[in-house]
Amino acid sequence: MTMFSSTQIPHLMRTMVAGILGMPENHLRVITPEVGGGFGSKLNVYAEEALMCFIAKRIGKPVKWIESRRENFQCTIHGRGHVDYYELAAKRDGTMLGLKLKLIQDIGAYHQLLTPAIPTLSVLMMPGLYKFKSISADIIGAFTNCVPTDAYRGAGRPEATHGIERMVDILAAELKMDPVEIRLKNFVGNDEFPYATTTGLMYDSGNYAAPLHKALAAVDYTARRAEQVQAREAGKLMGIGISTYGEICAMGPSAALPAGGWESATVKIEPSGQVTVMTGASPHGQGEETTFAQITADELGVGINDVMVVHGDTSVVQYGIGTFGSRGTAVGGAALFYALQELKAKIRKFGVMLLGSENVSLVGGSCVDQSTGKSVSFAEMVVAAHHAKTLPPNTQPGLVATYFWEPPNFTFPFGAHIVVTEVDRDTGGIAIRRYIAVDDCGKVINPLLVSGQVHGGVAQGLGQALWEEAVYDDNAQLVTGELTDYALPRAHFMPFIESSHTETPSPVNPLGVKGVGEAGTIGCSPAVVNSVVDALSTLGVRHIDMPLTPEKIWKLIQAGGHA
Amino acid sequence: MIPQTFDYSAPQTLQEALALLENGERKILAGGMSLIPLMKLRLAQPAEVVDLGRVPGLNTITESDGIVHIGAMATHHAVETSPIIRAHCPLLAETAGQIGDVQVRNMGTMGGSIAHADPAADYPAALVALEARIHLVSAHSDRTVGAADFFQDAFVTSIEPGEIVLDIEVPVEESNEGSRYEKFPHPASGFAVVGVAARVRKSGDRITMARIAVTGMGTHAFRDHAAEQLLENGASIAEAAAVVGASEQPNADLFASADYRRHLARIHAARALAAAVSRAS
Repeated sequence: MTMFSSTQIPHLMRTMVAGILGMPENHLRVITPEVGGGFGSKLNVYAEEALMCFIAKRIGKPVKWIESRRENFQCTIHGRGHVDYYELAAKRDGTMLGLKLKLIQDIGAYHQLLTPAIPTLSVLMMPGLYKFKSISADIIGAFTNCVPTDAYRGAGRPEATHGIERMVDILAAELKMDPVEIRLKNFVGNDEFPYATTTGLMYDSGNYAAPLHKALAAVDYTARRAEQVQAREAGKLMGIGISTYGEICAMGPSAALPAGGWESATVKIEPSGQVTVMTGASPHGQGEETTFAQITADELGVGINDVMVVHGDTSVVQYGIGTFGSRGTAVGGAALFYALQELKAKIRKFGVMLLGSENVSLVGGSCVDQSTGKSVSFAEMVVAAHHAKTLPPNTQPGLVATYFWEPPNFTFPFGAHIVVTEVDRDTGGIAIRRYIAVDDCGKVINPLLVSGQVHGGVAQGLGQALWEEAVYDDNAQLVTGELTDYALPRAHFMPFIESSHTETPSPVNPLGVKGVGEAGTIGCSPAVVNSVVDALSTLGVRHIDMPLTPEKIWKLIQAGGHA
Repeated sequence: MIPQTFDYSAPQTLQEALALLENGERKILAGGMSLIPLMKLRLAQPAEVVDLGRVPGLNTITESDGIVHIGAMATHHAVETSPIIRAHCPLLAETAGQIGDVQVRNMGTMGGSIAHADPAADYPAALVALEARIHLVSAHSDRTVGAADFFQDAFVTSIEPGEIVLDIEVPVEESNEGSRYEKFPHPASGFAVVGVAARVRKSGDRITMARIAVTGMGTHAFRDHAAEQLLENGASIAEAAAVVGASEQPNADLFASADYRRHLARIHAARALAAAVSRAS
């Protein structure tokens, strides 16, 4: 049985579908073609996927299942759906002490793969980047007759970040402090890492003020505040919103995940010197085909075009966990790194043999005798390993290494987003004037791919903040079932995103990387809402629930801030 | 997602197309921006589709004797960028530039859009304000209909069975005229939640003629004669805008309630009029 599925988790898919159908797991082959984005909705095993295999087996013919857009809206998981009640304790000088949360999750009609894990992640991350003495949280899961909820880009962290970043702004407004000042006052300090949070996590590394200062400089914060004073005098509603977000990535140690948190890599050096990398991670648009080729080329000293990265075929690639929770490079890349170290050690043995010297080191792919300066090339060592006329002691022919890496901890990226908005007093429409995103995802391997992740994430965050909402009628029919009703940001709407980075390496993995797939979405929504609340603060507005649709904003303005 | 099975024909001449339309349940395909989605959702299930894409000469844009003739198959992009339209009826070019997105403007046609007559489409406001006429032909008839009479109801026009929109005739805007289209787009569909086309003539500081047409608010685009008369009788823009849509029952949907829509119509009328007045020299 061969199953083609647009999924983030080909191996877990195989295990679960084989189990559901009662067939031997090694008789099922799952192939994920090039998948154009998953965002959590493809981090599931859907009934239709098992059913198609069942039907194909029953009728003995190929079966194809394509959803219409409306079916897709109704039959794949939805995201968010949290109703949060926060209480915050702080001193008059702005020092935050305690945070209390009652979180009600709309589970929908059924549990999906990770449904209850989403609010759990929210609660784990509810302190954000700040020091709290005490935290209290109650999670209430409410079964409803709506579409089930599960992981959607950020999966619990956008909800947590939105909550804490709104509360920090509300506290700042209450104390008449600048939202920058109150954040700087409460950040976990640079000398406090690794930092144990009151929720039981161990933040790996951080320099939380660095991206905030960089973002403030980029937007020219002092000048924007002065501009805001002038705008207000002219009757305009201009807002400046900040979010300093933290997230938990590189999912994660197996002890913390339901079905393994490790990842695998196999590296094969072919006789011709070309390199095949097989990763158990299942990239679906993140670009690890490029990132992993870069890592491989750097470690082996081969050209990037000599590396082929293979993924997403359970009959070709060794078992792996998949790509979600910003783990592809931080866990899968680390597994690759360690597999490469094993291969390098083996290559070096052939270098020692060919040079007849123990005093050798690998330099840019070649092996150099440090005492004589003589060297053998990568190609010579690779040929020696494959022709195997003679072999180093206790060494097998061939150059293949497989590594299964278990991460010791999560990673904790962070960053600062600043959004300048202008609210149209007459229509309630919101214009994004500036969007600054400074993200720290640890070591950046490919700046273009990292920026691409930030851009896409911000687009999804903007959609969530401004428009997106699953609406049901009184008969629980989904009303927002087509893209003509459910608004997503289109290219022509997107503001120019001024994206840059700070780099604080993670000590959790040898690459120092943290993960960036979800950062844009997590940082975005609170920055946008903080900005719009700031714009309307002169009317006495203190909080607005998402989405910030124009009519909602207009009614708020009409009611003088008290809708 | 997958349309009902249908027959397809692509006539090479206008005569051939009109002959085909004489009988049977046939639907005309122009740019496909409305018909194809409707067919995919199976809200439209025509037995046969007649594609006008290969009939030559249906997309020309010319001007003669104070009338601009726009071929029905001219794309929104062509309308937006045509030097003739920009020079002689800039309101229409401005309106075309606000339709949908780049892809839609490259594919969609003016004739297709007005024949479809979506209540939230952009062209109807401009065509009504410009007092354009729609040129309809069939195998045995040839007539023109004023834009205000052409748009009759939601998705209903005065096109008779067998007829096609051949071209649209737009009077050249006079030199003392100013015009403007102001739109509040729906973020999902790109259609007008409301759109207001305004056109004024001035003599000195006095407004001697005003045309205000609103789309998106009701079942079809309409001229607001009461607001026009107020302006022509010396009322301020604010006074005139404040009565726009007074006699209409506005649409209401998830995105905009009836009250909000009426409010948006008045705000956009005021903005369109202010811009039109400042453009009228």
